[in-house]
Amino acid sequence: MQPVATALAFRSVTKRFRNGRVALADVTWSVARGSRTCLLGPNGAGKSTSIRILEGALRPSAGSAELLGEPVDGPGYAAARLRTGIVPQGPGMYTDLTAREFLRIAADLYGCRPDRAIEAFGLRDHLRTRLAELSGGFQRRVVLAAALVAEPELLLLDEPTVGLDPKASHEVHEYLRQMMASRTVLLCTHNLAEAEALCDDVIILREGRVVVQGRLNDLRRGARSRLRLAAHQGPQAVVARLNGFGPVRVDGDRVLLEVADPEREAPRVLRALMDAGLDVYECTPQQASLEEVFLEAVG
Amino acid sequence: MIRLPRVSKPVRVLLRKELRQFLRSRNALLTGLLLPALIMVVAPVVQLLAAAGGSAMRGQATLPAGVPGMAGLTRLDELFLYVTFPLFFVLGGLMTPALAATHTVISERERRSIELLVALPVSVKDILTAKTAANLLVAAATLLPLFVIDATVVLLLTHAGVLYVMAALVLVLCALTASIGISLLLALVARDFRTANNLNGFFVVPTMIMTGLCVTLVPGLWRFLVLSLLMLALGGLAYLIAVRWLTFERYLT
Repeated sequence: MQPVATALAFRSVTKRFRNGRVALADVTWSVARGSRTCLLGPNGAGKSTSIRILEGALRPSAGSAELLGEPVDGPGYAAARLRTGIVPQGPGMYTDLTAREFLRIAADLYGCRPDRAIEAFGLRDHLRTRLAELSGGFQRRVVLAAALVAEPELLLLDEPTVGLDPKASHEVHEYLRQMMASRTVLLCTHNLAEAEALCDDVIILREGRVVVQGRLNDLRRGARSRLRLAAHQGPQAVVARLNGFGPVRVDGDRVLLEVADPEREAPRVLRALMDAGLDVYECTPQQASLEEVFLEAVG
Repeated sequence: MIRLPRVSKPVRVLLRKELRQFLRSRNALLTGLLLPALIMVVAPVVQLLAAAGGSAMRGQATLPAGVPGMAGLTRLDELFLYVTFPLFFVLGGLMTPALAATHTVISERERRSIELLVALPVSVKDILTAKTAANLLVAAATLLPLFVIDATVVLLLTHAGVLYVMAALVLVLCALTASIGISLLLALVARDFRTANNLNGFFVVPTMIMTGLCVTLVPGLWRFLVLSLLMLALGGLAYLIAVRWLTFERYLT
């Protein structure tokens, strides 16, 4: 098998449904092999349609989509699909199949044995329980185990923690951290904290179009960065001395000063405040969060 | 040596899953067995027993003159064999798989467990093929033994011979084949049990009218042949609508 540099690619993909709704409009993006990328966007942005196309469940109306170098409608897709694990978004659970039976089906379809996945996700004691009777956390473990049963090189995660309580979400995140190492991952999520914690690259969709794609750190640097300042004299006194440094905003007893490069600007700002006789007790460079990048992109 | 068509591995795996789930569903088993038993055995056998036994209905039948399908039918048991039995065979052949489809397809869709399947390395076509094959196997396993009972009673209680039984068997098999297209259409269109039942009704009523017209207009055993061809045409039309017009994508959208 020849290694591919691009694990996932959408090239000018348009998806128009029979009712005329356009879910994706001439979308182009790619995910490099070995990268961990999150696919973000508000509801209706086209995230799930993108995953459906990669699953082979929907066909692009125009353009081409590739999974591990194979077009989704090409003859090599089935083999590429066997090297891909997919965690679906909040699936319903079988009331008439046990965890063992479901994992056996997954293993048979991938052509492997389920034992390693059962051990890795601590499912040994729950194999005889019907899927619908498992707790939310264990249900998600079973779904993860099914996706990883054949040790796939590519993982597509569609909202893997949606609907879980914080404890179960934390548990799933721990598993994901382990499983995502050494794999190409596309994480489709609404949870920006989750995306920030697990991914290095980001693609943001809005109304079926790509509005942002790049390294998360580059995007943060490109977005408005700030210095967070606080002095014993209070925020108004700080604001009064920051005239000419840049836009400021008061956030409680802190002042947020927008600057291009917070680390370079900090000494100059700090000196100006101290020279003005203010007792500064906080001066922290702050990069834009993913949430800010996201909100700026989607408006 | 006859070579059977090769069934792909995903379809085999999914078919085992569908059959296992069907056997575990009390509702599916009950409707899958009870209704066919009523349609295929209880109703026809009661009619034949009434015609053959001490019933007040026994004897000559008074039939409208000049109707081609009724020509030569002078006895009550002949009336049942050539007029009402085809209706039962068509109903049984079409309804049994459609009922099974309601359970295998709609329950999967309603509880959203279809998402689990689509995430595995299978295509929507594999999923629907396995479901349709499971429905067909369940229907065949239910209907064929019931048909053997019918055939035995017909051969014991009436003058109809082996040719009648063969013609009736062809009709049941064609109705079963037609049910493939109808089950597929049901799978793609119905999102809940109510829609599925409405759709079943949508198919049953015109089919019954068509069958009624056929048994009235076509004489003798020819009606079984014509009905069989009509069943295949109906199933083919449903299949074409499902695959060409609706497409498999509809199952997930």
